[in-house]
Amino acid sequence: MLLCDFHIHTKYSDGSVELKRVIDIFGQAGFDVIAITDHVVNGDSMIGKLAYKFRLTVTEDNFNYYMENIRYEAERAWNKYEMLVIPGVEISKNYISSDKSAHMLILDIKEFIPACESYETIFLEAKKQDAIVVACHPHNIKGELRNTLYLWNNREKYEKYIDAWEIANRDDVFSVVSLRKYPYIANSDFHKPVHLYSWKTLLNCEKTVSSVKSCIRNNRGVAITLFRG
Amino acid sequence: MILWIVLFIAFFSITLYGIQVIALRKKLKEDYNSEFLPPISIIKPLKGLDDNLFDNLESFCKQDYPEYEVILSLQDYNDPAYRVAEKIRNRYPNLVRIIVDNSRRALNPKVKNMISAYRASKYEYFLISDSNVLVDKDYLRKTVSAMKPDTGLVTNLIMGVSGKSIGAKLENLQLNSFIILSVSFLDKFLKMPCSIGKSMLMRKRDFEEIGGFNSIRDVLAEDYIIGKLMHESGKKVVLSNYIIKNVNEYWSFRKFLNRHTRWAKIRWKIAGIKYFTEPLSNPVFLSSFIPLLDGFSRVSLLVFLFIASIKIAFDIYINRLINSSTGISTILTPFKDFMTGIIWFVPLISCKINWRDNIYTIGKNTLIVPHNGNSTVRVIFDKLKTAFTN
Repeated sequence: MLLCDFHIHTKYSDGSVELKRVIDIFGQAGFDVIAITDHVVNGDSMIGKLAYKFRLTVTEDNFNYYMENIRYEAERAWNKYEMLVIPGVEISKNYISSDKSAHMLILDIKEFIPACESYETIFLEAKKQDAIVVACHPHNIKGELRNTLYLWNNREKYEKYIDAWEIANRDDVFSVVSLRKYPYIANSDFHKPVHLYSWKTLLNCEKTVSSVKSCIRNNRGVAITLFRG
Repeated sequence: MILWIVLFIAFFSITLYGIQVIALRKKLKEDYNSEFLPPISIIKPLKGLDDNLFDNLESFCKQDYPEYEVILSLQDYNDPAYRVAEKIRNRYPNLVRIIVDNSRRALNPKVKNMISAYRASKYEYFLISDSNVLVDKDYLRKTVSAMKPDTGLVTNLIMGVSGKSIGAKLENLQLNSFIILSVSFLDKFLKMPCSIGKSMLMRKRDFEEIGGFNSIRDVLAEDYIIGKLMHESGKKVVLSNYIIKNVNEYWSFRKFLNRHTRWAKIRWKIAGIKYFTEPLSNPVFLSSFIPLLDGFSRVSLLVFLFIASIKIAFDIYINRLINSSTGISTILTPFKDFMTGIIWFVPLISCKINWRDNIYTIGKNTLIVPHNGNSTVRVIFDKLKTAFTN
């Protein structure tokens, strides 16, 4: 089984660790597949504007540079650790209300997708790029003031676009995803080194981008594990 | 009067610290010339993910040495270190073997981890090395060069590297000052056998003569006991001046406190009454009493700052000697010394230790017994209760 984490932030958005160091942290720990998913934040809300002001988001301007660096590190990760690195982003629609907010991972992204577009536009653009769409932390997180509940509250409308739902994020488990029998993965939402020790996904497939994507989409041979050092 | 005594002790302490620095300088100038290159079995007990684990393990597979093997030993396939071990074995299939066995009886988890690997090892010379150690290509060659016919054990000096969190920086400062100086001083000036578990090279014949794993399975400081038994059996214990790197990147402050409390308890159980001389190697902690006793007067604060500055200068010099760069974190030295000064008292009131998720009570010669979790008062209460109810 491949040990995977598909939700990782670096200093390109609000992570505390540089991309190169992140690759080494996961490589040194024996991971097989990871996805770098820095935030792409909507600029049409007060919270989003703050993210742009403090450079806590990947923008259209630096997207190509971001992708280029991920590709460079992906090659290094493969040569050194035999670890597959998938480029991605976390489209973050942030509003004051939890019910209006939603985050979604776009894995194996190729072109920039603005976060201020409508949900349908974002999902269709992701499909056009043959990317995987994952609904992140879709339910209430204990102790979190601002949750991201929009996708869950509108699941009937959007479930057809979503390839998998985060059933566990860092230390939280969302049993509602299991109860609805949705396809699932589990991730760390890595922002700092201590987050390495958190929920992870195990995939029973070949270590290639297409096999990993297919495994997530079909949701067969998927397991989750609480990774402890 | 007390103030003058403390003042004298503090200045004596900083002088002693300077002497320890001289011991390290002398140690680093030693040279071992030998072309003796026997085949070596390297045994690496693994448990959990150490910082930099992949590179640490791989550094042992890149040795410029004619014939050797690397055995990675674990107790559990579910150990996260197993995946890393597998990747290393896949990369160096002719050099690396993995042994997974949890069936051996030993209270010391590191010893328990090694017994099967030792039995599976091919060569007469074997080297036990911790998983958080990073070495250069010439490590094996230079370490083996210190092994002579009358030598029973070769260990190495250690230094801490790569600290990124506060806990790791404190840990590295402690390794690169108190620890490296203490072992150099004991070895060079007091001629006491010093063995450091992070790297221990032995012959199987000598090891089995002192009782093998049976003699260390239930002790906490297996490295100290091996060194002691080797010394008592008439074999030399050699501290090689080849410095190995202990990689500590993301330690929490709590982990730093935990390790040094454990090590202090070990030293207390080993040294006995001599443990009371240990604060003499902590001039910053001793001089912190001067302002306390003198009501924080300007002069007393200046004396404290003067001693702390000399200590920092010494530590910077030590790091230059060992080619280490602690950088700006050196300013944490007074805080680190103060914390270790406080830790020094802990063994006097507690003999419970927490190591690798196991809790033990530590006795003489670091003999360990599983901690039953009951306080003395609770035990007496339970016995009285049993006596009255039965």
